[in-house]
Amino acid sequence: MNSARTRFCNSKLLKEFVRRFSKVKSECKDKNANAAKAPEKKPKLKTFSIYRFNPKDKTQKPTMKKYIIDINDCRPMVLDALFKIKTEQDSSLAFRRSCREGICGSCAMNIDGVNRLACLHKIKPRGVTKIYPLPHMYVVKDLVVDMTRFFDQYHRVKPYLIGKSGDKDQGGSQYLQSIKDREALDGYVECILCACCSTSCPEYWWHGHSKKPNDFLGPAALLHAYRWITDSRDYATKERLNQLKSYYSVYRCHQINNCTSVCPKRLAPGKAIANLRLLMSSFKKKKKPDMEGSLPAEPEKACDQACEAGDKKK
Amino acid sequence: MALIFRLSGKRFGQQMLITDKSGLFNFVRPVTLKAKPALSEKEEGHDERNMRLKRPQSPHLTIYAPQLTSMLSITHRFTGMALSAYAIALGLGAVVLPESIPHYIEELECAEIGSSCISAIKFILAFPITYHFWNGIRHLLWDAGKFLTIREVYITGYVMLALAISSAIALSAM
Ligand code: HEM
Ligand code: SF4
Ligand code: SF4
Ligand code: FES
Repeated sequence: MNSARTRFCNSKLLKEFVRRFSKVKSECKDKNANAAKAPEKKPKLKTFSIYRFNPKDKTQKPTMKKYIIDINDCRPMVLDALFKIKTEQDSSLAFRRSCREGICGSCAMNIDGVNRLACLHKIKPRGVTKIYPLPHMYVVKDLVVDMTRFFDQYHRVKPYLIGKSGDKDQGGSQYLQSIKDREALDGYVECILCACCSTSCPEYWWHGHSKKPNDFLGPAALLHAYRWITDSRDYATKERLNQLKSYYSVYRCHQINNCTSVCPKRLAPGKAIANLRLLMSSFKKKKKPDMEGSLPAEPEKACDQACEAGDKKK
Repeated sequence: MALIFRLSGKRFGQQMLITDKSGLFNFVRPVTLKAKPALSEKEEGHDERNMRLKRPQSPHLTIYAPQLTSMLSITHRFTGMALSAYAIALGLGAVVLPESIPHYIEELECAEIGSSCISAIKFILAFPITYHFWNGIRHLLWDAGKFLTIREVYITGYVMLALAISSAIALSAM
């Protein structure tokens, strides 16, 4: 009995337990000490130089304004810094944002010379960070630009399914699509229309602003044009391609690929444009859809119809 | 707005029936709305509207960071222009100059300006050709829909630069 006890006391297991327990205890102590120290953390100052334009201002001249904030007392993204400046220093600073997680596409701006989403771009600890609105756009106020033309160009590529002509049941039924055909759309459907790509493109700067329809549509709109053309449920391929056959709409792109390099969703508008051109010149043909036809939109009716079809086959 | 007036009028009206007649109509006046056809807005273009509002254009070329993508692209255009200039200069030269072009080349070789200097001149002539050639092939591959992810754009960019510089050096050593 006694020997068993000494054996247990000397066992590796116990020693290991004691060692770990004491480690946990000491770690707790460290944490408490840290918590006590936290308020004394030295402020880390960081300068932001931000483009300001106030339409109510008589001089009507845009300026760069410097703001210094303590980034040790700020969450990590540039959007957090903008919020901190707006709440603590200058409530007149205007910028767009909504989701603060890179899915609404509102907070696109030019940060340190490159278009990015402020909510997805980390604050650089050193140096002065320069923030401009999206390049070559009309400025409404500060970092807010007029997106009317950008969205108009998007609407002009008809960003919706166009069924077979004579299809009276549009919207009333769900079109069938194989999983593989759906996967062909990956890399296009993720676009959040932030306009980072179009406004990074020198060709869009020079030709995106000519009078419609003689304007370069820009990588974002063209990415969507390709997205709807490749969709196996869409039947307007010919009309869509014909609409793009002008000197400006597509062919102004010189494959600079700024668009692909800048896209915060890591999409490749440049590739979509190359594919569009291959389709337009008939070097490439649209793939035949794996599935055709439709089912009623209501799930129950759809099930009934599918069962009926199955019965008939038997 | 009219709804607010009507609702408040109703409530105050009820109060008026219950309590004595106060000077209610001093602050709530009945409003009559006259229906009018909406004024059709003038078709105003995007540019016209923004210019009327005196909105400035946000800065672009001057603030955008130089990147491999745009720098290689603009160099392709510059080398294309240089090649055109060389072709025009040589063509015009052959027509206008009293002696033939090979004569001037021989003279340059006899002028004893040093072999390194000649190599440098050769490099200046050769680089636009090699750069435009290799990057032109890169462009043709893109036109075929290949190498268009951003990783591939950078890899082909560096490969193209290495090929262009090395073949230009090879040409100028000849
Ligand atoms: C003396 C010979 C050449 C001259 C004078 C020349 C000139 C030019 C010029 C001025 C451009 C317009 C650049 C631009 O739009 O940005 C251009 C574009 C182009 N060149 Fe050449 N080039 C020559 C040889 C070549 C060769 C040998 C190739 C192919 C191997 C080539 C492939 C291309 C391509 C693909 C483009 C289109 C680039 C774009 O879309 O921007 N070129 N060339
Ligand atoms: S393609 Fe990318 S950069 Fe362009 S609008 Fe869509 S998400 Fe933004
Ligand atoms: S690839 Fe075309 S659309 Fe994209 S940045 Fe370049 S020129 Fe613009
Ligand atoms: S706030 Fe929505 S994308 Fe940045």
